[in-house]
Amino acid sequence: MTDVTDTGAAAPQRYFISEADLRALAADLLGAGTDVIAPVSVDACQSPSALATAACLRPGVAPVDVEYKAIGDAAELDLGRDLPVLSLKQFFLPDHEALCRWHQRGLEVTVEEVPTTFAPRVVLAAKPCDSAALAVVDAVMNWDYKDELWNGRREASTIFNLACPVIDESCFCTAVGSAPDDVKGADGLLTPVEGGYVVETTTEKGRALVAAHPARFEAAGDPAMVGRIRQTQAERAGARSRVAANLEIDAESVRDWIATHFEDPLLASLAIRCNGCGACSSVCPTCHCFDIVDEEEGVGRGTRRRCWDTCQAPTFTLHASGHNPRDDQHVRYRQRINHKFSIYPLKFGEVLCTGCGRCTRVCHAGQDLVEILGAIDIAARRPGEAAAAAGAAAPGDVEAAS
Amino acid sequence: MNELRELARKLLTDGEVRVIIGWESARRGARPMFVTEPDGADGLIFDARCVHNLVTYLNPRRDHVAELGKIGLVIKGCDAKAVAGLLREAQLTRDDVVLIGVRCGGVLEENELPEAVALTRENVAPRCYGCDNREPTLVDHLLGEPQPEPPQPAVTIEERVAALDAQPLQERWAFWTGQFSKCVRCYACRQVCPLCVCERCVAERTQPQWIESSPHARGNLSWNITRALHLAGRCVDCGECERFCPVGIPLTLVNRKLQQIVAERYDYKVGEDPEIHAPIGDYRLDDEQEFIK
Repeated sequence: MTDVTDTGAAAPQRYFISEADLRALAADLLGAGTDVIAPVSVDACQSPSALATAACLRPGVAPVDVEYKAIGDAAELDLGRDLPVLSLKQFFLPDHEALCRWHQRGLEVTVEEVPTTFAPRVVLAAKPCDSAALAVVDAVMNWDYKDELWNGRREASTIFNLACPVIDESCFCTAVGSAPDDVKGADGLLTPVEGGYVVETTTEKGRALVAAHPARFEAAGDPAMVGRIRQTQAERAGARSRVAANLEIDAESVRDWIATHFEDPLLASLAIRCNGCGACSSVCPTCHCFDIVDEEEGVGRGTRRRCWDTCQAPTFTLHASGHNPRDDQHVRYRQRINHKFSIYPLKFGEVLCTGCGRCTRVCHAGQDLVEILGAIDIAARRPGEAAAAAGAAAPGDVEAAS
Repeated sequence: MNELRELARKLLTDGEVRVIIGWESARRGARPMFVTEPDGADGLIFDARCVHNLVTYLNPRRDHVAELGKIGLVIKGCDAKAVAGLLREAQLTRDDVVLIGVRCGGVLEENELPEAVALTRENVAPRCYGCDNREPTLVDHLLGEPQPEPPQPAVTIEERVAALDAQPLQERWAFWTGQFSKCVRCYACRQVCPLCVCERCVAERTQPQWIESSPHARGNLSWNITRALHLAGRCVDCGECERFCPVGIPLTLVNRKLQQIVAERYDYKVGEDPEIHAPIGDYRLDDEQEFIK
């Protein structure tokens, strides 16, 4: 927790915004032509027809999903704090995007570049695990090559997180260096209090947004702020302790153990029940691998695009020779764990995971990252218990025989 | 349950199989379990949460499962249809697997529960409606008591298909393009399908590229239609594709519609007899050919 003693009177970076004003802020932004991205309740059937909607509905399945969308109306903004199905990643690395277009006439080829600058946009009520993921991925997007499309969208975006109440038993953000009230990768944080939200700005961009809409924010001088800030402290501390109860690991020990136990049976047999479907990568806020494809769109013209790819697919590493260095699912799954919890942290200093738990929730085969990380943590820190724990962990009892 | 555990233990102890694939109860509900040691058999369960069609683990693409050695597989009646599918298409040799059948009175639509609950019209998996194989065939061992018919779901798949069929073409088009627009092309539907056995899926061919790999409207339509058509008359209706879809596309509706068309045109219903060929893998002189102009 930061600033627990701060009463708010002298805190220029804290404000109060009522729910009505938050929606009015979204309306102001939309009115000024700024794109606003926010969680929206989406009809899972995605059809205007009531009958088709009935066709789509399944017993026991919620009729609405929450999705991040570019909203058209401030009323769409969903402040219910549920977890969107897909992460915020899609607005920075879309599932597909054009890199260039080509036209060929005879021997003459012209290449049309795509713009790499973007109009300013605001993300409201982002999940802290989603904004933190953007900051983590920034490192690889600016390593040997500066990814102009990623950076362009990052620069154009001002992000306000909404403190998370913790979704369920698959959340583990605090185990991997994030938190339900994290502002990493974001420009500010909204924390619900009675009647609205306490707003904290943490970057210049965040402060600029508040400064540009003074009528919507109540400055911290208001005596009511003392009580509100106390409320946010309770809310934030409560969420942190709830999520910490799900999983506690020593990420550094995990990182180093993985790096030195490549052939360990625990690491080499994690994926027995895994279908290799790659749904985990699609929903992951930090998985950023893409494939580049040329798609012809008529005679002599086409588009070069990049699309999400996944290390869980055999074709991800299939060589032109026909050789595949990652030729079974255990090896591919180990790569996923290794990249996230060892390779990336060793290279960039941060875990390539923000603990959102989407991979676990989406896996109906039962690959459970909370369980797997717990087992690796025990192996790393208490090797004596590892054998016993592994039996109950992800690989079932397969490693006992292998 | 004890019957199942004892049998699994015996098969492993006797060396008749090297691994038993069944279900266990884990942190987030029932899930597939792989047992290689006799003592591990005590973790096996069977109840209404055991939704997974484990036949997908017999799929020849799964090298890492095949490596374990001879498999003893626990199957429900509906799962036997997938085994028959693999046998029919020469993807499996019957003697390479020991099949342990469990009598089943229906499974839950939502199975991520700490323990099984009684089936009701609201919670039963809609595909269980009209189940014609509560007692699995093809098996080497048959376990459990005879089971009652599963309850009729509040809304049946047929009713949902009919609701869509009743829509004008434009409305159906809007519905499906809306659904397919959600697709992110993770191919979970394909990976989990027990009958998607192609070593190299057409979606992965790039020279030439038959299906655009970008998840834009055109690519998604190509992929989803190709997937559905390649399973026409082969799909065993286990619903795993829809269950695994991370974005909730109701693939069961496409699959069921195709089953209806195949039944109507070819008088064929996917069953448990591997000797009866599916229309997609069969040629008859009296096949209707009016579409060839």
